[in-house]
Amino acid sequence: MESNPIPELLPGTLYLLILRTLSHGPLHGYAIVKRIKDASREGLRIEDGSLYPALNRMLVKGWLTSEWGVSENHRKARFYKLTPEGRKQLDKEAGEFDRLVRAIQLVMRTA
Amino acid sequence: MAFCNEIGNRLAWLFRRSRFDKELEEEVRFHIQARADELEQAGLTGADALRQARREFGSTLRSREETRSAWQIRWLEDLGSDLHYAARALRRNRALALAAVASLALGIGANTTIFSVAREALFSEPSCRDPQSLVQISVSGNTWIPMPQYRFLEDAHAFDRLAGMNIQMVVNWRDGNRSYRLAGTRVTDNFFEVTGIPVAMGRPIERGESDVAVITHGFWTRHLDGDPNVVGRTLELDGKPYTVVGVLPRDHRMLAGFGFTPDLYLTKDPIEVMLYARLPRGMTRQAAYARLKPICREMDRVYPDVNRKWAKEIRLSAVGGVERLEEYGQGAISAVAFFGMLVVVTAIVVLIACANVSSLLLARAFTRSREFAIRMSLGGSRGRLVRQLLAESLLLALLGTGAGLLLNLWLTRLLSGVHIPTPLPIELLLQPDRMLLAYSVVIAFVVTLATGLVPALKGTRAGIGGALKEGGRQTGPAGYTLRNALVIGQLAVSILLLSAGLLFLRNLMYATSFNAGFDTTHTVTAIFQTVGGTYTPQRFAALVDTALERLRALPGVEAASPASAVPLNPFLAFNRPGGRFRPDAGSRTVRVEYNSNAVGPEYFRVMGIPILQGRAFADSDGLGTPPVVILNENLARRLFGNTNTVGHILRFPDNRDVRVVGVARNSKYATLGEDNAMALYESYSQQNHTSFVHFIVRTRGAPETMARKVNETLAGLDAAAAVETHTMGEIFAGALLPSRVGAAILGSMALFGLLLASIGLYGVLLYATQQRIREIGIRVALGATPGNVFAMVVGQSLRLVAAGVVIGLTVAAVAVRPLSMFLVPEVRPADPMNFVAVAFVLALVAGLATVAPTARALRVDPAVALRHE
Repeated sequence: MESNPIPELLPGTLYLLILRTLSHGPLHGYAIVKRIKDASREGLRIEDGSLYPALNRMLVKGWLTSEWGVSENHRKARFYKLTPEGRKQLDKEAGEFDRLVRAIQLVMRTA
Repeated sequence: MAFCNEIGNRLAWLFRRSRFDKELEEEVRFHIQARADELEQAGLTGADALRQARREFGSTLRSREETRSAWQIRWLEDLGSDLHYAARALRRNRALALAAVASLALGIGANTTIFSVAREALFSEPSCRDPQSLVQISVSGNTWIPMPQYRFLEDAHAFDRLAGMNIQMVVNWRDGNRSYRLAGTRVTDNFFEVTGIPVAMGRPIERGESDVAVITHGFWTRHLDGDPNVVGRTLELDGKPYTVVGVLPRDHRMLAGFGFTPDLYLTKDPIEVMLYARLPRGMTRQAAYARLKPICREMDRVYPDVNRKWAKEIRLSAVGGVERLEEYGQGAISAVAFFGMLVVVTAIVVLIACANVSSLLLARAFTRSREFAIRMSLGGSRGRLVRQLLAESLLLALLGTGAGLLLNLWLTRLLSGVHIPTPLPIELLLQPDRMLLAYSVVIAFVVTLATGLVPALKGTRAGIGGALKEGGRQTGPAGYTLRNALVIGQLAVSILLLSAGLLFLRNLMYATSFNAGFDTTHTVTAIFQTVGGTYTPQRFAALVDTALERLRALPGVEAASPASAVPLNPFLAFNRPGGRFRPDAGSRTVRVEYNSNAVGPEYFRVMGIPILQGRAFADSDGLGTPPVVILNENLARRLFGNTNTVGHILRFPDNRDVRVVGVARNSKYATLGEDNAMALYESYSQQNHTSFVHFIVRTRGAPETMARKVNETLAGLDAAAAVETHTMGEIFAGALLPSRVGAAILGSMALFGLLLASIGLYGVLLYATQQRIREIGIRVALGATPGNVFAMVVGQSLRLVAAGVVIGLTVAAVAVRPLSMFLVPEVRPADPMNFVAVAFVLALVAGLATVAPTARALRVDPAVALRHE
C-alpha cells in the first residue's frame, strides 16, 4: 500500500467527480467522499480539507444547492443537490473528460 | 447570465455571513464525527477513532478559510474594511473632517447647481413626441417666416406635417372686470398633432379647430386656482371667447427652450411663425433639405423680395441640445459663455477645497510614514497601503459630494419656483436626474484622486530604511515642498477668483451708480394694450390724446408722453432696425443699426434727456405734416460727421425722406452694457398706431405712489385694455439683475475661495512651526532673538504669498480678459488697479493667517522644546 500511493487528482476533475456523485441524488459531504472512495475502489481519495472549499465554489457558481437534513445515523447534516445548471455542467465536463482521456490513451498506445 | 447569478449569490452571502460560519463549523464537525463512527465500527476505541478522524481531516481552520474565500468578493470586502478604518480615522478628527466635508460640499453644491441650471436652460429636451425626427426649419437665414410663405410651403407639400408657432405674442385676457396681459403662443391648428406635445388633462388642439386654447400648468395654478373643471371653460382672450381644451403637464418644456414658458397656446394665425416639420420615417436631413430647396426657389419666383432670398441659407436643425442653441446665435453664445465661466469658477473653488484636504492628508500620511514602512517591510504591499489611504479621501469625497447634492436639491428647488417676467416668461424646471448623478459621480471621483492620490503615493514612497532610521520624526523635504506647492497654487487661483469677483463687483457698482443718460427717480411707465382690431388709427390716436390729458391733469404729474418703447425695459425690447441710409438724400449710403422709438413732444422732458441741437418734437409734428426725426449724438455723428445736423434730410432704406430737427444726448437703450449705441426717434403722432403704446409720466414726488393712480386712470379709458404700471426704478432694477446675479455668485465664490486658501496657508505655516519647535528651541537656546524667530515664520509666509501672487497675477492678467463680454465697457478687465487691489486683499488676509503660527513660534520655550524629544 505504501509503495503504491493514491495518485493525485488531475486538476479540475474534483468538480466532475462531485457532480457525477451527486447525479443520483442528494448527499452530504462525508457521503460524497466515501462514495468516490468506494466507487474508485480506494483508487481516488479526496482530501477532506479541499472538499468544502470545492463544494462552496460550486454553490457560488449555482451548480449545487444545499439543504440541512438528517443523516442515516440520525445526525443533522447538510445535503448537496445538483441544480439543472449543475447537470448541464456535468454533461459538458464529462464529455470533455472523455475526449481528453481517449486522446491521452491514443497517444499512450500509438506514439 | 451565469456571471450575474454568481455575483448575486456572492452578494446574498454577504448578508448571512455569521450564519454561514456557524453552519460550516457544524458541517465539519459532522464530517469528522461520521468518519470517527466508521473507524469505531472498524474496531478503534471511541477516543482513538475521533483523534484519527481529526488527523485525517487536517486543519479545520485552513479549510474554513478557503471555504469562506470561495464566496468572498475580495476587493469589496477590502474596500469595506478600508472605509470602516477611514471612518474611524475621520471620527477621531471630527472638526477637521467636518471642515473638509463642508468646504467640499459648498463648492460642489454651487458647481452642481450651476450645472443643473445650465443643463436645463441650454440643453434640455423639449416635451414632444420623438424629438429626433422633428426639425426646426429656417429659410433665408431667418427662423421666422411670414404666414403667406408658410402657406405656400404647406400647399407645396414640402412636408406632409408642417406646423408653425409664434412665441412672442401678448394676449389680453379679460377676467371679470380686470384685464391681464398674458404671454400667449399662437400656433397653427395642426401644431400639437405634428409635434405630439403631451397634455396632462383634456386634449390637445386638433386640426380644423379655432378659438381653442391649451393652458400651461403654471397659468392654471397661478391664475385659475387649479380649477378641476377648467376643460371646457371659456376665456375671453383679445375680446373673443376661447374654449380651454387641455392643460399641459407641470414638466412641459417648450420647443423654444431656455425655460421659456408661455401662459397658454392658442389657435390664431400670427403674422409670422417659427417653422417645424416632422420628417417622414427614415428621411435624413440632407434629403429633407434637397426637397425643400427647389420649393424655396419656386417661392422666390412667386414672392420676389429684394431683402430676402427664400432659397438662401436654408437650415434644418434639431429641436433640442446643442443645435437648437446654435440656432439662437449670439445670445446663446454669451449665455453658454456665462454658464461656462460660472462652472469654471465654482470648479476652482472645489479645487481649492481639495488642496486643503490634500494638504491635510499629506501631513497625516507623513506622520504615519513609519507605520507604513514597518507594514511594507513585513510584506504588506504598497498598493494595498495606497488603497487604504485613498479610502480616506474617497470617504471625504463621498460625504462632500453627498452634502453638495443636498445643497443642490435645496437650491434648485428654490430656483425652480422663480418666475422671471420677461416678455416670454422664463421658468426653469430643475429636477435631479441621471445626468446630475453621473456628473456628481465624476466629481466625487476627481475629488478623491485630487485629494488622495498625491498623499497616498508620497506617503508610502519613503524608503523602508529611511523612514525607520530617522525615527519617523522627519517628514522629509518632499512633504514640505508639496504642501508649499499646494498653498502657492491655492493662493494663485484665489488671485484669479478675486480678480473676476472684483470685476463683477465693480461692474455692479458702476451699473448702480452710473447715469443711464436719463432720469430714473421720478418716472412712471405704463404699458397700455387694447384688444387688436377695436380701434382705427384715428380713434386710437384720440384715445392716446385723452389718456395724456387725463394723466397731465393728475396732481403731482409734471409731464407725460407716449412712446413705442421704454429703455432698459425687460418687458419689451427695442425694435432694432438697420439698413442703408442716404444722408441729405445724396448718393452716399451709410449702413447703420439703431434703436428705434416713436415718442411724443414731452418725452425728452419726462426722461430728462437734453436736446443738444435743434428742438424736441412739437404738437405740430402730426399726421399730414412733413416727417421729422431726432437722432442721438452717436447716430448723428455716424451719418453726418461733426457738422451741425439739424435741418439735414435723411433718406430711409425704404426711400422715405425725413428731416432731422434735433440731436438728443446719448443714453442707454436696450442694455446697460451697450457701448456707443445709436438711436433714432420719430414723432409718435406722425405714425399710425392701433393697439399698443407706453405712457411715460414724470412725477413731482416719489413715483411709487403715483404708479397706482396712473394705472387707474388708464384702466378707466378702455375696460378691455390691459394696463401694467411700473416705476422706472423697478425697470432699472430688472436691467441690473444680470449684474447683480453675476456679482453675487462671483463675489461669494471669490470670498469663499480666499477663505479656503487662507485656511490652507494657516495650516501649512502652523504645521511647519510645530515640526520645527525643536529646531526653534535650539536656535533660541543658542541666542536667536524673537526677531529672528519672527523673521523665520513670516519669511516662509512671505515667500509662499509672493510666489502665489506672482503666479496668480500672471495667470489672471490673461484669464480675466474674456470677461469683458459680461461687463459694462467702463469696467476694463486689464485695469492694473484691479490687480493691485486684489494683491493687497490677498496679502492682508495672508497676514492674518500668519499671526497665529508666528505667535506659536514666539512662545517656544527652549527648555520645554528640547525636553520634547
